[in-house]
Amino acid sequence: MKSLAVLFCLLALSARAHVGSPNVFFEGHAGPHAVRVVIRPPATVPGIAQVDVRAGVTGVTLQAAPWETGDNAAAEPVRAMPVAGEAGLFHAPLWLLARGSYRVRVSVESERGGGVVSVPLLSAAIQRPTMPPALGALLAILGAALFVSAVAIAGAAAPTHRRNATAIATLLLTGAVAAGAWRWRTMDREFSTHGLSRPLPVEASVRTAGSLHLLRLSQPADSTEPAWDSLVTDHGKLMHLFLCREPDARTFAHLHPVRRDGATFENVLPALPAGSYQLYAEITYENGLSQTLVSRVAVPEALATSPPMAAWKMANEVWCQTPAIPLGNAAQPVALDADDSWHSAEPAPSPAARALVCPLADGSHMVFLNAGDLVADRETSLRFAVFTAAGRRAALQTYMGMAGHAVVRRADGAVFTHLHPGGTISMAAQQMLAEREGPLIVPLATSTDEVTFPYAFPRAGEYRVWMQVRLDGRVQTGVFEVTVRPEP
Amino acid sequence: MVGKYLDEFYYRAAEGQEETSFHFAAASQGPPNIQHLRDVVWERAQGEATLLRAPLRGEVAQHWRVEWRAVYGSRRMNPFRPTVLPAADWLLLLAAAGIPLSLLWDYSWESTVGIDLPWSPPHTANYLAVTLAGAVGLGQIMKTSRDGVRLGRWRAPLGAWVVVWGALAFVAAFLFDRWWQASYGLAAGIWHPPQLLKAVAFFALEAGAWLAGLQRAEEAVRAPRVAWSAGGLARVASGVLLALIFTVTLAVNFPNRQHGAAFFQIACATYPIVLVAVAMSGRSRFSATAAAFVGMLMVCVMVWLLPLVPGAPLVSPIYHPRDRLLPPPFPPLLFAPALALDALLRVFPKRAAREPGWVQAIEAGLAFFAVFLAVQWPFAKFLLSPGADHRFFAGGGKQWPFFLRIAPSAETAFWKMPGDEFTLSSALIAAGLAVLAARLGLWLGARMRR
Repeated sequence: MKSLAVLFCLLALSARAHVGSPNVFFEGHAGPHAVRVVIRPPATVPGIAQVDVRAGVTGVTLQAAPWETGDNAAAEPVRAMPVAGEAGLFHAPLWLLARGSYRVRVSVESERGGGVVSVPLLSAAIQRPTMPPALGALLAILGAALFVSAVAIAGAAAPTHRRNATAIATLLLTGAVAAGAWRWRTMDREFSTHGLSRPLPVEASVRTAGSLHLLRLSQPADSTEPAWDSLVTDHGKLMHLFLCREPDARTFAHLHPVRRDGATFENVLPALPAGSYQLYAEITYENGLSQTLVSRVAVPEALATSPPMAAWKMANEVWCQTPAIPLGNAAQPVALDADDSWHSAEPAPSPAARALVCPLADGSHMVFLNAGDLVADRETSLRFAVFTAAGRRAALQTYMGMAGHAVVRRADGAVFTHLHPGGTISMAAQQMLAEREGPLIVPLATSTDEVTFPYAFPRAGEYRVWMQVRLDGRVQTGVFEVTVRPEP
Repeated sequence: MVGKYLDEFYYRAAEGQEETSFHFAAASQGPPNIQHLRDVVWERAQGEATLLRAPLRGEVAQHWRVEWRAVYGSRRMNPFRPTVLPAADWLLLLAAAGIPLSLLWDYSWESTVGIDLPWSPPHTANYLAVTLAGAVGLGQIMKTSRDGVRLGRWRAPLGAWVVVWGALAFVAAFLFDRWWQASYGLAAGIWHPPQLLKAVAFFALEAGAWLAGLQRAEEAVRAPRVAWSAGGLARVASGVLLALIFTVTLAVNFPNRQHGAAFFQIACATYPIVLVAVAMSGRSRFSATAAAFVGMLMVCVMVWLLPLVPGAPLVSPIYHPRDRLLPPPFPPLLFAPALALDALLRVFPKRAAREPGWVQAIEAGLAFFAVFLAVQWPFAKFLLSPGADHRFFAGGGKQWPFFLRIAPSAETAFWKMPGDEFTLSSALIAAGLAVLAARLGLWLGARMRR
């Protein structure tokens, strides 16, 4: 009985930096070896994560340990077994005992030498429980049989007071069933509120200050989540915020709000079409915990003047002087972040949206090289290339330290995730791991004219993919509508 | 009845004489126990017996005549060979003892190794114990019997029905629990509905074994040939029940919690039910004490044996590295309050003869509470002291589940948990629970004695 073992609750942090896309993908280097790691976390904790490692090596070991304790409390590594018929693919189940931030250390060995890389992982309950109808029916039958037989045994055991015994047994059993049902409901509610990891709702509002629309995100007053004063930067930003205009997400923005205090972020809104927007924000805490925040906000008509882009990255900081406000702290953000970007296909849908080729604002074109080959739950690399107007491969510049950023959203909003060439993991969390655990982990070098993202679409359906690159100093966004086929 | 008549009766019955009768001279002993005679005829000769309650002509003393008819022919047995308990009884006892033992092993496994798969060795042992108990119970039901509790077309001893019910409840709990653990894990907390159902199933299995033991004890009294062990069966089964209570309430049984309200309240609400019922229904004057020793011994065996088995944590985080299986906490000293209950209810026969009621319940409940508190309070202190840091007591604040994060100062301290302070009001609640439990035990014991 598990209750006997887990007498005391362990660390109970929970969250994930995505919506509906729990699998972890990582591409990087372990020593001289290129490795790709795919982790399929369990639906709940304790549970078993299934880990696949692809690398041209002779042996792989895996070790999972909570972020906080690291090596001090880590169990012995587990040896991953080669998968028959798949050269270079290794598999191992990893038991996750506690909830919270974990690091999975992947050690590889070959004749060329060994290498180690650590992948951050959030151990959490991620699925709302549903009972299969067949099991439900079986349990109902068993329950009814137990109820009836218990009453019958009670009656038969007291033949002289059969009626009384039957009545008392019926009452007691009904009470027990009611108490059990109440307990289940209470625990389910507790699970949904505190146990289940899911995107955290936050409050969002837009206010007008002078010639600017300001978007404000704040923690609800009754929030029990950790305050936002212990965040770390991911690609140099404390928060990555994505806006998708409802209902069809034809307008998309990728912004980087600045923190005003422990419970508030603010950002200047670019000139977006008015309407209702879904918001997804990503943050990473000092303990490696990543969270996705969600909200919805009504954006008013754009003002006459477009907001300025900040020439200086710290222009918006609370504690900084800015060219706009030379003395004292910035009372509010005064400009868009230099890395903010947005894309609108309003009012008409982009004719190229469904095609494999998307024209970019500067006349060049972006190609989704394997858009026609997407199958649910099949591990793949999303491959993109950019061509100049003249038809040559365009040279990509780094955009927030990466060759590109991709955002994937299912048409119904049930899946939303932010990808990097290094995978789905929080780069901030991984950098912290790297600083603590030894050699810096560098994402696989991507050729400057093609960007790849390791990923597997979690479900079949219609998806929209935004792919952002920097060309000639400007961020360009390519938009693709793709169909992900169900698993055959 | 006079022994020699019975002997002859056994002999004739065992011979399987098809149509015969037997006369009992029952001048001073009253009529023979026809129920028992029918059992004997049935078991020895597969026959049916009828009691003809007619004094024979010309006899001064009252005589009783029993007639029987063998249905399936004779089954030769030597009636003078001491009868041993049927294998089914031993198997049921083995299964009953296997349940708390496998649960304690499971606790140790999860606290040492950490990987908790459905077919881990302790889980498998647990399933085997339940399966064995269920099979024995089912076997008793399927065996055509003239007596016992009738359900549908089957008649069987009450214990068999309860055991089979428990096994069925376990099947439901198992299926429910597998789903629950894959869905909620521990994120929703412990003591979830399938676990509660599992506990109910275990208690039903143990209670059924106890009832079966009591029935054997009754037979042992009526039939001197049935070996002494029949009486021991009920005692052992009730001891197993005490061990099960300890096991399912393990979370409060750590020595560090034994100065808390929850420990005393749970102990007072549970143990007296069994101990008082045993004291009331047992044949020996020290039945409750014997049961308490059995229960303690079962836990002690695991305290002593488990640390001999190699085992190490396979999952992180490991706050307490181990290389041997973790022993469970040392059991509470139940023999002391059990002795008090025996003294109160059995050693003074005048009291025991009284019809059990609330006065007796108050006496027994308060006696349990007072003696248990007086003995366990200092013993808990000892268990946390360096003197208990020994294989025998497995104390000294050294034995922890590997995943438990605990401050070194808390290892040998009594934990002050909110709402768990042992105050006057919590002590009164514990005493009240003990009285209620004792009343329930008296009621059960009286029914069992009948």
